[in-house]
Amino acid sequence: MTYNLQRRDFVKQLGLGALSVPFLSGLPSLGYAGTTAKKQRMVVIFSPNGVVPDQFWPEEEGENFTLKPILQPLAPYKDKMLLLHGVSDKIGGDGDSHMRGIGCLLTGTELFPGNIQGGSHTPAGWASGLSIDQEIKNSLQSNPETSTRFGSLEFGVVVPERADTWTRMVYAGANKPIAPIDDPYKMLSKLYGQMKDRESLKSILDPLQADLAKIRSMVSSEDRQLLEEQTTFVREMEQELKQENPAAVGHAVPQLELGVRDTNENMPKISKMQIDLMVNSFKSDFARIASLQYTNSVGQAKMTWLGIDEGHHSLSHEPDSNTEAMDKLTKINTWYAEQVAYLCKKLAETPEPGDNGSMLDHTMVIWTNELGKGSSHTLNDIPFVMIGGGMGYKMGRSLKLGRVAHNRLHLALAQSFGHNLKTFGNPDYCGEGALSLS
Amino acid sequence: MVDSRIHTGIQTHFGVLQLLCAVLFLYAQTAAFADDKLMEKGKAIYAKQCADCHGDRGQGVQSVYAEPLIGDLAVSELADYISAAMPEGEPEACVAEDAEAVAAYIHEEFYSIIARVRNQPPTVDFSRLTVRQYRNSVADLVASFQWGNQFGDEQGLQGRYYKSRNRGKDNIAIERIDHGIDFDFGEAGPDPETIKDEQYVINWSGSVFAPETGYYEFIVDSSNGGELWINGGSEPLIDFRVKSGDQTEYRKDIFLIEGRAYSLRLDLNKAKSDKTVGIKLKWKPPHGPEQLIPPHALSKATFPEWLIVETNFPPDDKSVGYERGVQVSPEWDEATTAAAIEVADKVMARLDSLIKVREFNAETEPKLKQFCVDFASRAFRRPLSDEVKKLYVDQHFEDAPDLAVAVKRSVLLTLKSPRFLFPYIGSSEFDDYDYAAWMALTLWDSIPDASLLKSAAQKKLVDGKDLQSQAERMAKDMRARSKVRAFFHQWLYFDHFSEMDKSDEEHAQFTPELAHDLKSSLELYLNDIFWSEESDFRTLLQADSIFVNPRIAEFYGLPEVKGPLFEKVSFEPDKRSGILTHPYMLAGLAYEDATSPIHRGVFLSRSLLGRFLKPPPIAVSPTPPDLDPSLTTRERTAHQTAPVACKSCHGLINHLGFALENFDEVGRYRTKEGEKTIDSSGSYVSREGDETKFAGAEELSKFLVTSDEAHQAFIEQMFQYLTKQPIQAFGPEMLSQLHDDFQKNNFNMQRMLVQIALKSAHQRRQARQDQLAKTAAN
Repeated sequence: MTYNLQRRDFVKQLGLGALSVPFLSGLPSLGYAGTTAKKQRMVVIFSPNGVVPDQFWPEEEGENFTLKPILQPLAPYKDKMLLLHGVSDKIGGDGDSHMRGIGCLLTGTELFPGNIQGGSHTPAGWASGLSIDQEIKNSLQSNPETSTRFGSLEFGVVVPERADTWTRMVYAGANKPIAPIDDPYKMLSKLYGQMKDRESLKSILDPLQADLAKIRSMVSSEDRQLLEEQTTFVREMEQELKQENPAAVGHAVPQLELGVRDTNENMPKISKMQIDLMVNSFKSDFARIASLQYTNSVGQAKMTWLGIDEGHHSLSHEPDSNTEAMDKLTKINTWYAEQVAYLCKKLAETPEPGDNGSMLDHTMVIWTNELGKGSSHTLNDIPFVMIGGGMGYKMGRSLKLGRVAHNRLHLALAQSFGHNLKTFGNPDYCGEGALSLS
Repeated sequence: MVDSRIHTGIQTHFGVLQLLCAVLFLYAQTAAFADDKLMEKGKAIYAKQCADCHGDRGQGVQSVYAEPLIGDLAVSELADYISAAMPEGEPEACVAEDAEAVAAYIHEEFYSIIARVRNQPPTVDFSRLTVRQYRNSVADLVASFQWGNQFGDEQGLQGRYYKSRNRGKDNIAIERIDHGIDFDFGEAGPDPETIKDEQYVINWSGSVFAPETGYYEFIVDSSNGGELWINGGSEPLIDFRVKSGDQTEYRKDIFLIEGRAYSLRLDLNKAKSDKTVGIKLKWKPPHGPEQLIPPHALSKATFPEWLIVETNFPPDDKSVGYERGVQVSPEWDEATTAAAIEVADKVMARLDSLIKVREFNAETEPKLKQFCVDFASRAFRRPLSDEVKKLYVDQHFEDAPDLAVAVKRSVLLTLKSPRFLFPYIGSSEFDDYDYAAWMALTLWDSIPDASLLKSAAQKKLVDGKDLQSQAERMAKDMRARSKVRAFFHQWLYFDHFSEMDKSDEEHAQFTPELAHDLKSSLELYLNDIFWSEESDFRTLLQADSIFVNPRIAEFYGLPEVKGPLFEKVSFEPDKRSGILTHPYMLAGLAYEDATSPIHRGVFLSRSLLGRFLKPPPIAVSPTPPDLDPSLTTRERTAHQTAPVACKSCHGLINHLGFALENFDEVGRYRTKEGEKTIDSSGSYVSREGDETKFAGAEELSKFLVTSDEAHQAFIEQMFQYLTKQPIQAFGPEMLSQLHDDFQKNNFNMQRMLVQIALKSAHQRRQARQDQLAKTAAN
């Protein structure tokens, strides 16, 4: 029912004064919110089933390190990169590793007991708390200077049409998973529906005026009054629509290729469309927080365009000795790295509106995963690849942290946004406080 | 609960035209015989003593007394009042014969209904769609591309209990109608004999009827998993397949419009890990308490997905007692724009199910174009001329960058078109399609359906061939039922006591839940009588039965009933008189801790006798009972309304309301109030000045069922609710003809429904034809 809810909000906004004030201007922060505070964004990108560690993590620690094959596509951003090896998802409790992997990844807290039975362990339900991206979003939204139209946007790419513990990463609260929008057309309509409507309305004004004139002449003079008034309203609507749309200045509604179906084969296309939409939405300052979820925990993407016919999750169970499988898994993860690189490229190429530097300088892109390694299902050494700026971290480093709880990373993220959290998720894992990344 | 509403209620409910006609004929004679001399005298006195404050034609004087001098008191009553109260501050200046002369003069010139109709004859208002008509029209327009169904009388959902997860027909263990969803099957499950698997599914399907427009919160309470679907769509309203933690309650709201049934599907999945099996399905309707969905709101009949317009419209003008679309405002225009966008988006999203088109290409273009033509012609209630078709359809297929945009533009334009929004535009001769449009608006508040349009196309409406049968068919449709329901809501003042709560110390059992059950009880009663074969208006005021569920039966001391279905039982037959004594009415028209003869009297005056009441000259708050506990409610009321300024209305109101004093503020029968015996004597002075006396509800009801004024008041209010137009605009004979028909047919209300549709349409045709003839002659 998300459609209906959006619909309702939209209609309410529209109904309140749609055409009497410039379209959209009644919405909060369509211009640039928070021109005084330095703008900061965060994007969390999820890909599933762990990585191939020896093809992923650099051997070295510190500022001098060499990128392994999987991370090669990110080479142009090496000096803006922070690699966190040794972060563990220590959350125990109900649910198998894949379920806890995705469900506790951003929430840092246990899953509730429930009826979803994984491959092993006890069955589980939803996470028992909200996720860090939503925590930061709420904090930003509570301040008029950093509040934006949507606050956060949850993108997905080929996420299965079912709601269960494996398909949900972002939570608005305990038992409140948020479904990622994996249909770019639906996202387009969420972001730009009102502007599209504006275009449609413009196109019907002439015939409407023409018919009103004709009908006015058909009815008696006493009956004409209501129609006269109606004609005036239509004329006012025309005046209104002629005015420049404040939200459209400088960034038109992005054009999407039509008719791309939500199928495995279209994954590369959809990925690009979603990233384009995300960058566009940042340009319009629709949100400061975003997530991009590729498939789901235990995702079975078949990357046929890479010449791989097996499902990703099935491959991830193969032992290290199966070099063919390792090769394929490396290719798969490299492809995900390319998607991250595409986002970084788009951000780096776009000057930050109303500020210095590029949008990448104001955005922290964080690529992560529900497992450290697929075949072992370990929740240690969860990949956290951070690229970008604006958080006050010292970038261009490879860190070896040695099994620190990921809750402490979440605290660092929140604090970088000026949200001074002392604990997040399960407080037991927040021991020594926020990780120091500066 | 109702304190300040005595007066605000009056303000919103009275209207100049509403009651104009009821006495048109009764008075014709008295007025005609007015004595010239008396008139001269009255005119002179009026000019000298009255006009300064009331204006030379009784129109009022802004800074002194702005209200016009209008009303429906008899000349004698008016004279009494003037004698006692006018001129203000100096009543002795105009008494006895002088007062009679002034009364006769103003009655004849501008005060009376006849005078007003003569001075300014009402006309049929050129109107836009009301909000209700808009929402209904859109829902029916989109549904016209789908299939339809009727709700039926069987109460409950179709339950299918499967032996396992397999939903094959052969795998059903139990199939039955469940009157409600309130099950605790414990550890054993619904039937351990036939359902033995560790995992299985129970499915309930059918529909739920929405009695009001607004947001409905649905609540599922279950320790098992499952999903709830309301009104179809692509996702469940409540998805509780994932069980997580201790959560067993799930709630979500959805906007529904009144008078329609929405498909409902509820699945319960018993999982291996589930220890017990049980589920409750509740709702919280607008203005209602959270409760199990009652059986009468459930049916096994399913429906296609309705397109519900959620856009918020500004409320319609209700100043004359019924909603009408006589004004357009910027807010309304904006709402039509927002709604057009909303509808266009929703239509585009479901083109696949409406016309089985998934792709926009050259191959599907003809189908898409035909859809746009059908959509526009159904919205405009007539086929498109070539010119209109070009403007609304063809042009967009030529100009738009792609087919999807073309369809969307055409739909948007259609919904913004005056041809849709102003349903009376029609043709100058009032042709067959105008007949169809008129009947659909009158009986359904919607657009004509396929059958009616077919009769119009065959020209069988103007010539009368299909007219009667169409009107009778339409009167049986759910949409007519819904409109009748809405009429009763208004006629019986439901809006004025929707949040009744008296559960204080004295009436701990009179909870919002009981109040809501009583509302259902009254609605079932109205339905039962109106849709019976006799459909006798008099039964409404006389029946001595009531629909009860266990809660009602217990509160009113009736024999126990089983539930959850409401049962019709005998109810204090020697004391009760239909709607007059239904506890919902009695409690609604009362305070928390005392009755209110004024509320009851206002209701009887306006709704049942069609009388005109002015707003009180000053805001008055009722005297609280504890100010002088020795007084009865009757005595207190009489005392408070004793001032002469109150007399012109309260002389009428109080003596009607007093007749119901045997029923307390929660609708129970009583013979004493405190230590004192109840005095339920009352009286009524008709517009002609005839006085009737009665004591108690029974005698009041006997008077009403034989009163021409009461019959005419009912006809007039029903007519105006259905047509949204003043009955006087349909010529001076309309009311008397309908009244004759009503009397000759044993006061059959269903017949009246049909007659109003037919006669009003016929009169419209006649008026347009006369107009054409006149134009031609000139």
